[in-house]
Amino acid sequence: MSYDVRCVDLGKRYWLRQGPGSRLLRRLLGAPAEDFWALRHVGFDVAPGEVLGVIGPNGAGKSTLLKLLSSITAPSEGEIRIRGRIAALIEIGSGFHPELTGRENVFLSGTILGLRRREIAQRLDSIVDFAGIGGFIDVPVKWYSSGMYVRLGFAVAAHLEADVLLVDEVLAVGDAEFQARCLRRIHELRERGTTIIFISHDLGTVERMCRRAVLLRRGAVVAEGDARDIVTEYQQSVTDEQLARPSLAPDAARSIAIRGLRAAGQDGRDKGVARTGERIRLELAVRTVQPVTDAVAEVKIYSYDDGVLLFECRTPDSGISLASGDHVVRFDIESLGLLPGAYTLGAIVRRSGATAAVDWWFGRTTLHVDGGPAAGGQFHLPYRWSVDSPASPDASAPDVEMSRRRGASTR
Amino acid sequence: MAILADPAQPSGPAKTVRETLIRPPVFSVAAALASVAALGRHRDLFYTLTLHRIRVRYKQSVLGIGWAVLQPLATMAVLTIVFSYIARIPTAGMPYAVVALAGLVPWTGFSNAITTSTHSLAGQAQLVTRVYFPREILPLTYICAAAIDCALAGVLLIVVMALYGVAPGPALLFAPVVLLVLLALVCGFALLAAATQVRFRDVGVAMPIVLQLLMFASPVAYPLDAVPSRFLSLYTLNPLAGIVENFRRSVLGTGPLHFESLAISAAWAAILLPLGYAYFKWVEATAADLV
Repeated sequence: MSYDVRCVDLGKRYWLRQGPGSRLLRRLLGAPAEDFWALRHVGFDVAPGEVLGVIGPNGAGKSTLLKLLSSITAPSEGEIRIRGRIAALIEIGSGFHPELTGRENVFLSGTILGLRRREIAQRLDSIVDFAGIGGFIDVPVKWYSSGMYVRLGFAVAAHLEADVLLVDEVLAVGDAEFQARCLRRIHELRERGTTIIFISHDLGTVERMCRRAVLLRRGAVVAEGDARDIVTEYQQSVTDEQLARPSLAPDAARSIAIRGLRAAGQDGRDKGVARTGERIRLELAVRTVQPVTDAVAEVKIYSYDDGVLLFECRTPDSGISLASGDHVVRFDIESLGLLPGAYTLGAIVRRSGATAAVDWWFGRTTLHVDGGPAAGGQFHLPYRWSVDSPASPDASAPDVEMSRRRGASTR
Repeated sequence: MAILADPAQPSGPAKTVRETLIRPPVFSVAAALASVAALGRHRDLFYTLTLHRIRVRYKQSVLGIGWAVLQPLATMAVLTIVFSYIARIPTAGMPYAVVALAGLVPWTGFSNAITTSTHSLAGQAQLVTRVYFPREILPLTYICAAAIDCALAGVLLIVVMALYGVAPGPALLFAPVVLLVLLALVCGFALLAAATQVRFRDVGVAMPIVLQLLMFASPVAYPLDAVPSRFLSLYTLNPLAGIVENFRRSVLGTGPLHFESLAISAAWAAILLPLGYAYFKWVEATAADLV
């Protein structure tokens, strides 16, 4: 198959305890070298115009892969082939010098990122506009607010022309509006046919942006395929890990600890993808060190894109009693009122009468809603429908004495 | 592996594809020299970064770029007081101040370039770990900035020569050759120092001392003729000796050029530059892991 990026048997080894000369000394003394492979035997292709997501837990090797792809550091084995110009969409504010003006810094960081001065001059207005810093462009950046600084740094990177674009945790930059602007820019580039590698642990974004994804774990590709399947698989494995680790000592200071949160179907199995109107169960796994009599558990559903709280369910405010040990708090929802889209589940546990949470769980569980009877609007309500046609006085057709049709949408 | 049909079509005609191959680093002079070609694509960065070095260095200082002149002028004054009033150094009728300054121009150029470029890679952790560009641009732009300072010091030399009524002779034609050897030597030395500093920070600490020793081991404060002839062959092994002395002779017209020492300097440059570059490129590949 044709490719824009091809990684073959890629490996990156880091030496531990690497003091100056210590590796040499250890080798002379015959002591075993302490190393670890941040990546090993990693191979994948990215087709031209494809948007590939790379996901995985912390320490899986995502950042190392990014560094190898962008030539920041060289691999220890294997090879990478990249066709065309590659650029990384990163915030380059660190290249800024505080004494120089925004304009001077744009030229500096732009050329560092590989732009020609002429290209920067052409795009300067657009860069200033993107960063939203207006008249501050001729002011030394040391007078900038931290937000302006970051936005300007990012704006320069967003104006790179590349055949292959590396995107890394864009959403950590700036406010919600700026993030939306960044995502729009990525969409724009994608529409233009730019090959994009999206390295992130923001699963929702990966799923919305990418068709295909690879899952990294301990430096190796453990799964590869349709982005939605990979994200679901990853979430499943994370939940499983959290639920099936009884030896994990709960935080002693926490009287109630959240162990996991998931959406389950009627069969009790994990449900990463649900349908509108479906019966669904939200399960919150908690552990108590000592018996409590005043526990309150709340599960919330947020919109993925902007984190707006859409729905909340909770156990009574008066508190429930839990013996010490593991429990699963279940919330059965008769008919899921969410429209197709991505949602984040969150949960807190607290003591009755207190507002502060004892433990919380956010951003780690995603619920996807796909299909169902809803046609539009903001949410779904279970409904039935019928047609009532009262017989008109001058009805000539005797066989249409009265017709009544019925239907229902709720399942 | 199934490719999902993507509705987005690549815009325009088929792109002219340049394939980049990324592999584990190897120590190779040939590979390093081949990467000189890639520098051309980054000439705008080269220009911008050099400009940046000059701007930043003198930002928020009252005298600004005047320091480029003041630095050798002050050293000249100190040397003149020490070696022309306290200890007398024979200068064959030439005013000592001119002799000293003619030596200081190439020397401060060398010294400034090495001092600044030693830290150029190791001291840029934030940049080096975030974005790739040919790293040799970092030390090379410091060298460029030092060269511009050196040129300003050259203007000072012309002024001082005019004040003392010293006119250059026909040997002046050799000055560019000497400066070219100096440039090659500086580049080789700077690449080596910058790359070594990444792993061994000792280099940066030792550099001021090394430079100080090197200055006294070079004919900066005194002419080459002051060196006892039995030490001369050993003395001229110092690559700076041939450069400093021959620069002075070509500019001031004090005697014929000392080609032997210049040839030694050129030999040093011819060895250091390719080796230093290859070593630099080799270290560069994993520098981001170490800075």
